[in-house]
Amino acid sequence: MIPSSVAVVAMVLLLGASALALFVWAWRRGQFDHLDEQSRAVFDARDPRIERPWESEAQRRERERAHGPPLPAQPGEWGGAA
Amino acid sequence: MSAAPADARREEIAIRASADASSRAPVLVFFATAVAWLLFGSLAGELASLALHWPDLLGFASFLTFGRIRTAHLNAMIYGWASLAMCGVSLWMIPRLVHQQLSWPRLAMAGAALWNVGLVIGIGGILAGRNDGLEWLEMDRALADPWLVAGGACVGIPLLATLARRTVDHLYVSVWYVIGAFLWFPVLFLVGNWPFGGVESAAVNWFYAHNALGLWLTAVNVGAAYYFIPKVLGRPVYSYQLSLLGFWTLAFFYALNGMHHLIGGPLPTWMITTSIVASVLMIIPVVAVAVNHHMTVVGRFAALRYSPTLRFVVIGAMAYTAVSLQGMFTALREVNRITHFTQWTIAHSHVGVYGFVTFVLFGSMYYVLPRLAGREWPSARLIQWHFWLSLGGIGLYVVALTVVGVLQGLVLLEPSAPFQRSVEVTIPGLYARSLAGLVLGAGHLLFALHCAALLRAPARRAMPALLEARPVVVRDAGAVQEPAS
Repeated sequence: MIPSSVAVVAMVLLLGASALALFVWAWRRGQFDHLDEQSRAVFDARDPRIERPWESEAQRRERERAHGPPLPAQPGEWGGAA
Repeated sequence: MSAAPADARREEIAIRASADASSRAPVLVFFATAVAWLLFGSLAGELASLALHWPDLLGFASFLTFGRIRTAHLNAMIYGWASLAMCGVSLWMIPRLVHQQLSWPRLAMAGAALWNVGLVIGIGGILAGRNDGLEWLEMDRALADPWLVAGGACVGIPLLATLARRTVDHLYVSVWYVIGAFLWFPVLFLVGNWPFGGVESAAVNWFYAHNALGLWLTAVNVGAAYYFIPKVLGRPVYSYQLSLLGFWTLAFFYALNGMHHLIGGPLPTWMITTSIVASVLMIIPVVAVAVNHHMTVVGRFAALRYSPTLRFVVIGAMAYTAVSLQGMFTALREVNRITHFTQWTIAHSHVGVYGFVTFVLFGSMYYVLPRLAGREWPSARLIQWHFWLSLGGIGLYVVALTVVGVLQGLVLLEPSAPFQRSVEVTIPGLYARSLAGLVLGAGHLLFALHCAALLRAPARRAMPALLEARPVVVRDAGAVQEPAS
């Protein structure tokens, strides 16, 4: 039975070891530091300021407080049709 | 962010515009060919479905027999539609996220061409009766697979080169998922195609097939969801820590999963049990992703009415949670003894590859294509039709096959019941599946026509500003109007 499993066991160990190596590299390079700041890496400066028509008044005010005066959403802004 | 100097914002816009411009041609080629394979795969799937309840319908042509057309459907959907669209989404996202132009875009274009040649040879070969006989690896390993390996390398190398030349230190979680997928998949594909024999062949086959789902299809599409949900909502993911936890637990645990497909097979019990334990451990990344996506959207579900991107991606993310939890329970021996060898498995795989993967890819393309084409989608109504046909079709498909799958499994466990009865109980579900396939196919046709209309539109809209970077207009002191992202 064991010989029939060698290839899979070896591959699982290889993938696990490569994931571990990548994890250590990421840790040493500071990839897990300042996570709150890093979570905003997906945005351009404009993104958080665009008006979202679905937001409540309170959510709108919160956005304005955090990011400044809103920018009007443009046609098709959300991936839809004009 | 609002206080950022206007110069910095202009520079940021210029970087994004150049990243988009660098990936435009290859992404469009990948998307266009992906949609073509989506249409072919839909037709093949429908014919395969019809053959199950009208077995004599297509018997006049050998290439239309179930064994060939069903296999052609699977390969067209996994390697044609999903993989090509995922390459397109990856080539678009990575340059944006690492603030760098795509390296060697022509090599990526060549990758699209090579991959498609491999698909034509492989799927054509399947229809002609050449089949390697391994699940998810049916395409000819000598004639077709080398083209896919070369094509995949031509996409992966530009992505890795772009990553190496990045101008940001930190890698956003989507980058981890996408780059991880492009590192894992070549290894899996090469090992999966290695000509092992006997029982080892079955073990390696399911090691490949399940990891192709978890470390290729899942990785890229979870990465895409982590990009598009925050982007549309304008708020960061609920917990960035959870997003990283999800990625790293997937990376560490997923590779062990595949053996649960061989419960009852001639493999060592410890191996199957280890796989079941690993499958249950998947609850960590699944719950991490589910909680994160839900909490990011919570309070803003009304946004789904406005954004087709968000609507498709959020439904896709929900399906990811559903299919993963379902998979965990299906891996348990007590559940598996009922569901194994039944239509349940077909329903389960479609929740994953359609409800999750395809929905996320549709949502991504609704966001990306207008920005590459420089013009907006022509019709909101067509998007609505596409969404509801897709959701209705997959809903009918999954419910019908899940129900008859359980009934089939229960009959198979009944010692006194003739085998014929286990087939008869599935027939209503098989008819429902053919109907669902028609509905899904109609949605795909609308989507393809809409894509063609978008790309062939003769003139740009008067105000296409959100779709492209344009000069920044300074209104007054400190107020800067930027183009949409």
